[in-house]
Amino acid sequence: MSLIVNSEFSNDVAKITLSGALDSSTASQLNETVQKIIPQSPKELVMFVEKLDFMSSAGLRVIIYAKQKLGPAVNLILVKPQEQLVETLRMTGLIFSVNIVDNYPE
Amino acid sequence: MENRKESKSFHATLDSLESIRDFLTAKGKMAGLDKNKIYKLCLAADEIATNIINYGYAKTDISKKIIDVIIQLDDEGITVTLEDTAVPFNPFDNILPTNDDLTKPLEERPIGGLGLMLAKENVDQYTYQFKDGKNRNIFRVNSRTT
Repeated sequence: MSLIVNSEFSNDVAKITLSGALDSSTASQLNETVQKIIPQSPKELVMFVEKLDFMSSAGLRVIIYAKQKLGPAVNLILVKPQEQLVETLRMTGLIFSVNIVDNYPE
Repeated sequence: MENRKESKSFHATLDSLESIRDFLTAKGKMAGLDKNKIYKLCLAADEIATNIINYGYAKTDISKKIIDVIIQLDDEGITVTLEDTAVPFNPFDNILPTNDDLTKPLEERPIGGLGLMLAKENVDQYTYQFKDGKNRNIFRVNSRTT
């Protein structure tokens, strides 16, 4: 399955689209993308995760890292996460630090 | 269903994580677990396998890095044992994030302990044994909703 990461930056909004599995073997791919985004100081980070079928704590760590580097004023939006992913966010308390939406203009 | 036992060996590298999840998914289906329980079992095993690969076997010669996944199916569910010969590591000796940590804003929370917490929370029972020179991380998932 592996992980496919696509990203774009426009109008102060960073968008990342993820599909596949985000585990310890693939989290570095997302981390690289996040590292490129941070210096661009986006006002919002939007992650399209509808096709993300699996996420372990390795993925959570990248999200926490991004949020820590970008600061509290930057919104972190997850678009259409699968039910199990939402459950993981709830279990770890990350649900309080992200916004979950059904759609976002691509 | 009669009790069935089966085991499969995997190279203890991060590249094996997906194969381990695929194996557990197939066996979880045979045990009659629903999609949600299969996902949770895969997540728990993935977290512990990652720890074994990254920390347990960190200093071991590559040819000796093996994780055996042992499956036991019965009428009520599945028991999955991850067995490795890495240095003894009892995950229950580690400190889990507190409720206070989990409600902190992301900007302020420490990173760590999340994987172990996910392993414990996502199965019906999680136990650890060190026996005959092997770490055994044992996960139990019941097929019926309790």
